[in-house]
Amino acid sequence: MPESISPHPERAALAPLVEALAGAAGPYLLEVVAAEDMDEIALRPEGLLGVVDLARRNGFNLLLDIGGTDHYPLQPRFEISYHLTALPTAATASEPAALRQPNFKAPRLRLRVFDDGEDATVPTLTHLWPSADWAEREIFDQFGVRFSGHPDLRRLLNPDDFTGYPLRKDFPLRGLERRFVPGGRAGAVPPVTET
Amino acid sequence: MSSVDLQSLRDNPDIRLEPGDEHDVMVLSMGPQHPSTHGVLRVMLRLDGETVVTAEPEIGYLHTGIEKQAENLFWQQAVTVVDRADYLAPLSNSLCYVLAAEKLLGIEDIPARARVLRVMFTELTRIASHLVWLGTHCLDLGAQSIFFYAFEMRERILSIMEFVTGARMHQSWFRIGGLAIDVPAGFLEKMDDFIDRFVERLNDMRAIVERNVIIVDRLVGVGTIKQEEAIAWGLTGPPLRATGIAYDVRRVHPYCDYETYDFDVPTQTAGDCYARFLVRLAEMYQSWRIIKQARERFPSGPVTIDDRKIVPPPKTEIQHSMEALIHHFKLVSSGFGVPEGHIYQAVESPRGEMGMYVTSAGGNKPWRVRWRPPSFYHTQALKRLAPGNLIADVVAIIGSMDPVFGDVDR
Repeated sequence: MPESISPHPERAALAPLVEALAGAAGPYLLEVVAAEDMDEIALRPEGLLGVVDLARRNGFNLLLDIGGTDHYPLQPRFEISYHLTALPTAATASEPAALRQPNFKAPRLRLRVFDDGEDATVPTLTHLWPSADWAEREIFDQFGVRFSGHPDLRRLLNPDDFTGYPLRKDFPLRGLERRFVPGGRAGAVPPVTET
Repeated sequence: MSSVDLQSLRDNPDIRLEPGDEHDVMVLSMGPQHPSTHGVLRVMLRLDGETVVTAEPEIGYLHTGIEKQAENLFWQQAVTVVDRADYLAPLSNSLCYVLAAEKLLGIEDIPARARVLRVMFTELTRIASHLVWLGTHCLDLGAQSIFFYAFEMRERILSIMEFVTGARMHQSWFRIGGLAIDVPAGFLEKMDDFIDRFVERLNDMRAIVERNVIIVDRLVGVGTIKQEEAIAWGLTGPPLRATGIAYDVRRVHPYCDYETYDFDVPTQTAGDCYARFLVRLAEMYQSWRIIKQARERFPSGPVTIDDRKIVPPPKTEIQHSMEALIHHFKLVSSGFGVPEGHIYQAVESPRGEMGMYVTSAGGNKPWRVRWRPPSFYHTQALKRLAPGNLIADVVAIIGSMDPVFGDVDR
């Protein structure tokens, strides 16, 4: 849903960068929104690495979080949201002592990557930020979205033999029973029919 | 030494060691019931003698699907499950969620009394959480008496919580549109008593631990991380501030009028366990300062907004007014809708930046509540922090990151 771009004077300094980032997404750009909390760029997965690379080179050094959202039954179905922050560091600040005073600005940026289909795949960011490792594994675990290039894409929170992706909207809240099988592996079995 | 050389193990943590291999590397599974893991964390350690070569934390033992539960409750009801994620700082969780929902609803006129009480109680929560950390962290290091000092003080905070909200642990007291109830008579006396006692007791505790030879010997130079690495691993809160950046959400992206309170953001530069220790100790004093200022302000007035579509009418009114009864019935039976949209709201929880990315599809339930759990990233950083240290120091490192597994696993 496109929103009208409203002026946010405190973010004016960031506007040229946001424009450049939108340019870096090229044909994969979906929209640029000056949302109430931060500027956001919506794009297709193919454009992600170029945008992230440019954002990193322009100071966005902290990957706050990677989150997943299932917009079922809308298409495109999966949204992977990246929240980035630009923190000053000893390398960029005028003097290291200035970092110890909490009066710097830390602008934020949100990237929303949309992908659809059962085999949704998004490029990994683990080679840029080690913190992306678990965040991407969790999304794989809960939504079944794959991250191409991830070195160790396993389930994180659910057990390894779990079937299904719980945070998908079409995952049943009830009716999926896990039963202990003596001497065998527990697993998802069809729902018990009530008699 | 062995056929498997240690450097290649460090570079490739996935090398499998077979029983026949000649090597001095031992694989040790620490947890999930190890007392020093403060919950249910399992760390797969590879040890060369007593030195950790690689550490691989495994999480998920406390996964209860809180994010999924929140999607299936009304906006107001979801406060109760949101509370239960970070169980040492429940009010920080609910504050984050409530602020996000209020932004989506466009509510900007939360009464001053509610704002002051929100600040006061999240700071009380921060002190209570840091006291648990101080007690258990020192217990892990072999200092026992400080545990009793810390928990005695925490008990006083929990008593105030119980007195005001009716619950010691999961208060669910912050609601969308204000607070659940106003504070009872006699609250201010209790607060004054606490404010006087706490600073005295904090000074006692600092005198015991701050330069204690046991603590200093166990913590200095252990689990050191540099500033760039801390940022790359997504650390926030005390672990990041211990590397020399005063990044505090309360100051950088203020909420609840934090910009009007006078407090410092303690930092250290060493980036080791002792630096994190000092930062948290100093933070307790700053929280006490904020509580004191909130106590001095303490305005009178209502604690909820005057919008019957969001906040149910008082019980006395329901008995006389048909309209109030209908409002009450509608709010209880079907909740309220929130306009379509999404928002990222962050608060400074005792552990670091706790963020929530809340999406609304316009219905009476949140479409998606995505946490940014600080403990999640701090636990992940054990992969970087533990290698190179002694196995006994792994305990100190876990303690100094202060993870809460309700927050990690949700």
